[in-house]
Amino acid sequence: MPAVSSAAGLLALLDEPSDDLKQHALSHLNKVVHDYWFQISGSIGSVEALYEDDDFAHRELAALVASKVFYHLGELDDALNYALGAGSLFDVEEQSEYVTTLIARCLDQYFEKRVRQAEGKRAEEGEAAIDPRLTAIVERMLDKCVSAGQYEQAIGVALEGRRLDKLEEVILRAAAGEERTRVLKYALRVCQQLIISREFRQQVLRLVIRLYETVQSPDWVDICQCLMFLDDAPEVARILNRLLQAGEEEELLAYQIGFDLVENELQSFLADVAARLETTTQQQQQPAAAVAAAADAPVAAAPAVEGAMDTDAPAAAPAAATAAAAEGDGAAAAAAAAGPLAAKLSKLRDILSGKTPIALHLDFLYRHNHADLQVLKNIKGSVDARVSVCHSATIAANALMHAGTTVDTFLRTNLEWLAKATNWAKFSATASLGVIHRGHLAQGRALMAPYLPRGGAAAAAGAGGGSPYSEGGALYALGLIYANHGQDIRPFLLESLRGTSNEVTQHGACLGLGLAALGTDDEEALEDIKNVLYSDSAVAGEAAGISLGLLCCGSGGERVAAEALAYAHDTQHEKIIRGVALGLALMQYGREEAAEALIEQMTRDADPIIRYGGMYVIGMAYRGTDNNAAVQKLLSFAVSDVSDDVRRAAVLCLGFVLMNVPQQCPRIVALLAESFNPHVRYGAAMAVGLACAGTGLKEAVALLEPMLTDPTDYVRQGALIAMALVLVQQPESRVAHFRKRLDKFITEKHEEVMCKMGAIIASGILDSGGRNTTIGLRSRSGYFRRTSVIGLAVFTQYWYWYPLLYFMSLAFQPSALIALNSDLKMPRAAFTCGCKPSIFAYPPPLAAEIKETKSKVPTAVLSTTAKAAERQRKKAAEKEKAAGGASAAPAAAAAAPAAEAAGGAEAAAKPAAEGDKMETDDAAAAAAAAAAGGAKKPAAEAEPVSFTLENPARVVPGQARFVVLPTTGRWLPVKRESPLGILVMRDTQPGEPQELVSAQGDAAAAPAAAAAAGAAAAAAAAPVAAPPAAGGDMDDEPPPPAPFAYQG
Amino acid sequence: MEIDKPEEAPKANGAAEPAAAAPPAATVEDKLKSVVALVEKSVKAKDTRLLIGRLLRQTASVRKQLTASSVKCFLQQTLPAELESRAFLSSHIEQAASAGMDAEEATTSAQCEVSAVIPEVELFAYLIVLIFLCDSKQYQLARGVADHALSRLAKFNRRTLDVIAARIYFYYGLSYEQGGDLASIRSSLLALHRTAVLRHDAIGQETLMNLLLRNYLHYNLYDQAEKFRSKAQKADQFRSGQQYCRYLYYLGRIRTIQLEYTEAKDCLQQALRRAPSIAHGFRISVSKWLILVRLLLGEIPDRQEFAQPGMSAALMAYFELTQSVKAGNTLTFKQVTDRFSSVFLADRTHNLITRLHQNVIRIGLRRINLAYSRVSLAEIAAKLHLASAEDAEYIVAKAIRDGGIDAVIDHEGGFMASRERVDVYSTAEPQAAFHARVAFCLDLHNEAIKAMRFEPDAHRRKAESSEARQERLAAEQELAKALEEDDGDDF
Repeated sequence: MPAVSSAAGLLALLDEPSDDLKQHALSHLNKVVHDYWFQISGSIGSVEALYEDDDFAHRELAALVASKVFYHLGELDDALNYALGAGSLFDVEEQSEYVTTLIARCLDQYFEKRVRQAEGKRAEEGEAAIDPRLTAIVERMLDKCVSAGQYEQAIGVALEGRRLDKLEEVILRAAAGEERTRVLKYALRVCQQLIISREFRQQVLRLVIRLYETVQSPDWVDICQCLMFLDDAPEVARILNRLLQAGEEEELLAYQIGFDLVENELQSFLADVAARLETTTQQQQQPAAAVAAAADAPVAAAPAVEGAMDTDAPAAAPAAATAAAAEGDGAAAAAAAAGPLAAKLSKLRDILSGKTPIALHLDFLYRHNHADLQVLKNIKGSVDARVSVCHSATIAANALMHAGTTVDTFLRTNLEWLAKATNWAKFSATASLGVIHRGHLAQGRALMAPYLPRGGAAAAAGAGGGSPYSEGGALYALGLIYANHGQDIRPFLLESLRGTSNEVTQHGACLGLGLAALGTDDEEALEDIKNVLYSDSAVAGEAAGISLGLLCCGSGGERVAAEALAYAHDTQHEKIIRGVALGLALMQYGREEAAEALIEQMTRDADPIIRYGGMYVIGMAYRGTDNNAAVQKLLSFAVSDVSDDVRRAAVLCLGFVLMNVPQQCPRIVALLAESFNPHVRYGAAMAVGLACAGTGLKEAVALLEPMLTDPTDYVRQGALIAMALVLVQQPESRVAHFRKRLDKFITEKHEEVMCKMGAIIASGILDSGGRNTTIGLRSRSGYFRRTSVIGLAVFTQYWYWYPLLYFMSLAFQPSALIALNSDLKMPRAAFTCGCKPSIFAYPPPLAAEIKETKSKVPTAVLSTTAKAAERQRKKAAEKEKAAGGASAAPAAAAAAPAAEAAGGAEAAAKPAAEGDKMETDDAAAAAAAAAAGGAKKPAAEAEPVSFTLENPARVVPGQARFVVLPTTGRWLPVKRESPLGILVMRDTQPGEPQELVSAQGDAAAAPAAAAAAGAAAAAAAAPVAAPPAAGGDMDDEPPPPAPFAYQG
Repeated sequence: MEIDKPEEAPKANGAAEPAAAAPPAATVEDKLKSVVALVEKSVKAKDTRLLIGRLLRQTASVRKQLTASSVKCFLQQTLPAELESRAFLSSHIEQAASAGMDAEEATTSAQCEVSAVIPEVELFAYLIVLIFLCDSKQYQLARGVADHALSRLAKFNRRTLDVIAARIYFYYGLSYEQGGDLASIRSSLLALHRTAVLRHDAIGQETLMNLLLRNYLHYNLYDQAEKFRSKAQKADQFRSGQQYCRYLYYLGRIRTIQLEYTEAKDCLQQALRRAPSIAHGFRISVSKWLILVRLLLGEIPDRQEFAQPGMSAALMAYFELTQSVKAGNTLTFKQVTDRFSSVFLADRTHNLITRLHQNVIRIGLRRINLAYSRVSLAEIAAKLHLASAEDAEYIVAKAIRDGGIDAVIDHEGGFMASRERVDVYSTAEPQAAFHARVAFCLDLHNEAIKAMRFEPDAHRRKAESSEARQERLAAEQELAKALEEDDGDDF
């Protein structure tokens, strides 16, 4: 192409006086610029001068040439500037590298400026306006994208450029129907995951939802999730209401939405929705009734609704009910018309109040409980009960293993051992019951009655009553049972709090109240707790501080926060300061930028404990946002603060910030994990544990593995716990190795107490909830579960205060797949899982052999007998046998007391539990059998490549993608996204009788409660009573847990 | 003209035998297969470093054994049948074979089982074919293949492809150069260079820059070459030592033409030092330039530099030239230039030789200066074969002013009087010389340290005992097999 071999001649023309010559030179230069740019760049000055010259007619051409030269020189900003100056000569449509590069640069600059503008507006009224030419190009690109049908790109550009107007335009330009739905879905996903600024995200969400609702068949599940995110209860209520009235399909969808909303566990929001369901019903019925010309109808409908509801849902909002009930009582016809709707409403309200889902989960956990008592027995056998740390840890491990299963066999069988817990250990032990019975909303209080301060006056006084430690523990336990669903128990807890002046009881009551009324901003409770705080008692004050945080969690607690912080500065008690600091952190949960002021204040404080709290504020406020600024701040504190505590907290909180990108966390903390400072190493281990909880990520395991042999004991402890968090509910082939390590830690004589404790807790976490729960940081819809994150945050405080260990149970999420029919009952249904059953099967139960080898240990120790045996074997065969018998005798004698105490009761209970297991869940049993078969006969027949899961089924997170939701058959799910959680199913053969899975959880609870009233004091009788109860009827009815109490 | 390609050096030396040295074909294919496996592995690990080193080394090791049939066999085994590149490449190989290179029967071999290959492997196949064609001097065919390869390359934007792409660019340049059509690809090279810069393709960038420099220098466009070199964006450090070597050589040539001999000497010396010892061709041409530059600087290279194994024949002309310069004998100098003018023209060093004439005179002058304390200008003119005493006077005056000799001219008496020589060892001169050597050694040491690389977490590896690792790997593999299905669809 180039006819010339140099551009020198053309360049010379530029200095000619004639404009024509210059123009000629420029137009030729423009052609050859890609080949001779390096020559032209020598005289770029004269080209630029031509552009500056207003009289020159071809300024734009000069600009274009200059732009191209700068582009080749790598000065993209200058190139872009000149390209903009070239006006129409700069052809956006051109498919050359030059144009595409410059346009990319252009978009980058535009986004940067827009973001700065948007953020500057808040700070100091923006800065220089954006070049309109820049805007024009961006808009041209947008148009191009849209007209080419690349809506995704267009949405991306609009979002990056913070152009809500353009976003709306893009979406509206998508063809209505399928196309627009797709576009909206994309926009929804992108704005939730990729927009960093919270404020802008909410704006976008609102816009997208507004548009979404105009679509023909919107995805109501998604919309309601978003609305919840925006805290827009009225709108959710309106949607639910509309769905309930629309038809059967929609009704089921409404239930499904209800279940999904409950998963996110925002108590106050759900209550708000439930309350509004009713009022919106009234409003909707008003016009309808007016047409029917029945003046009283609306008022009449309301009591009817109420009436129907009272039977099922005692937890209904009472205010509206009394008002409506006062109005009138007639109009039976209207009531009949509203009947079905009322029934539906009450069902929905049960869901929203958490009653139905919690009951289902309880049932699931009870039904599938696979906690291996042998593990606990081994732990108990190998730790010294006199070391109270290990003793408490064992109790805690038991609680975690049985969290939510209501199975307290282990405690029952070991009452004497349990009684060794005194003082605060007793507090913890009592609280552990709360973890075991977690979610037992119906009977919770009755279960705890024996220990409660003044509940059931007759019964309680005898057994646990009197000791403030067990009282406080029981109140804390109530909080754990009713965590986040505490409307029923709130008054009682309040009353208990007011009625005591003992700081231990206050401690328990504060924690309990905080848990039960989590995130409700309950004024009354706040006042009472503040009173406790101001009493300046260290023990009670600490709990009060945390409790304040729990009550106001996520709301910022404007008024309380300032007061509490001021008080933290006043008080002398470090415990109170720490409690308050943590409380402040909980209040800022998920508030992102809104927490900035507090973060600034707390991280600059002179008091290291407040700074420590400041780290947690950052972690909580930016939980799972992966926010760069927050990560940087934490990292800088992690390496520069003078206090070890602050550094540890800073590293640990990285785990919270990075929760949504678990794969990045190990990389970020990798260097810190090799720090010289053991506190930082501990923090790094925990950060990985928190961020990668339940993922089983390889990188995380690789990072933690070497830390298990760290020279510092508490680093090992942290690594053990973190490893358990990471590996919970992973396929057994990956966990088995770690189990062995744990066992070694626990049984090793010379291991440090800290590590033993860590190992015990870790084995509790690993088998949490009867091996049926995982650490659920997110709900299935991808939002973070507030309760879980808060629970983990408080859990990490076990460093200072062991009873806070039990907060871990808040993070447990049943890995269940439960199908429901329209009556919210479980029909008999099956799902196919397309993988080998053994991969995700329960780990095989620990063989009792281990115990035998243990009891053999004494024989080995008796060296004299061994020597005697040696000698005699040489002499005669008969004598050898006799000697063997003799040597075995003392061993058996030594083992007898221990074995009898534990094994006697266990022996009876065990077959019962075993039989129960086999009967109740076929699928799991089949899997277990397959696994057991494999163990017995290694060369058994090949495993099937798929198997069937019976409703309700255990589906661990990793298994989810193998489970296929049915597309044919009788029961079809209304929502098809993921085969996890509670799914409402549509019946395709409505006429035929439905086979239901018999509910067990409820049945189990009933006799327990009945018995609780009477036999609470019979502590000594309990272990005797248990075996027959367990062994009695094992066909369908589970053994009712008879009440028991222990004496300390 | 392959002399400046390190890998092809043996051939330039006349030592390379035709490809049909008949090694068993199976080993060639096996080797190629292992290279392909290496490519796949490094692409999977996104490790381009592995590619730069090992890939090229391994390819070089099979290179001499390539035959038409083995290449064809390789193509059939690695590329899937429906890939159009395969048909294209096979046909080119067949043409090359029928051109009488070697009349081996194409053996039918196992077909490729895979249905798709990664682009890296496909382009590696192009590279192998290109190497084969260039080695068998089928430059016309190579041109076609290179063009095709470039059009394939343009479709991908993968950093793992960079190393292979860079090699393909090289053969693209080579095939056109052999066809004498180097100017025609200049603008496409420029475009490729720009693309490489934009994509942060460092290795492509340096290869293309060298190709462009070579292109300009081929047409004696020293000015453009220098402008391009100084304006083009460069990374701080070259990725490939080979390319850096070459860059230094071109830069040295540019500097020589620009009369900046000291810098030119530095560059050329570095180039010579960095060049692999096997790259005879390259070393020879660098040596030629280096000798000339040193002569121009007034230095006389040691005799042993000409006597290096394998070089003495090629450097014969320069050796004689040096001798004549050393003697300061203009007469023999003229004779030598005349005798070897064809060699110098071919080496394109003729104009430098012309520049040398002045140096010869000056060296002669210096010898006279050393030999006589007083000598008449007419005598000087006679000794140096100058036209007249006036000429000699001018030359002597200039030499005095430049510091070449230490003398004074007596214009009246018409003679040059030498000054007493001072003892060099009483000055700071030895110290400066010693310092220069020390600085050079320190530099070398620093560069060597910078060039060292450690694996990111080598220290952690030993924590795990070997059998524990094996056990874990086995378990993990089993699990991975079970979990293999679409792992990454949840974002």
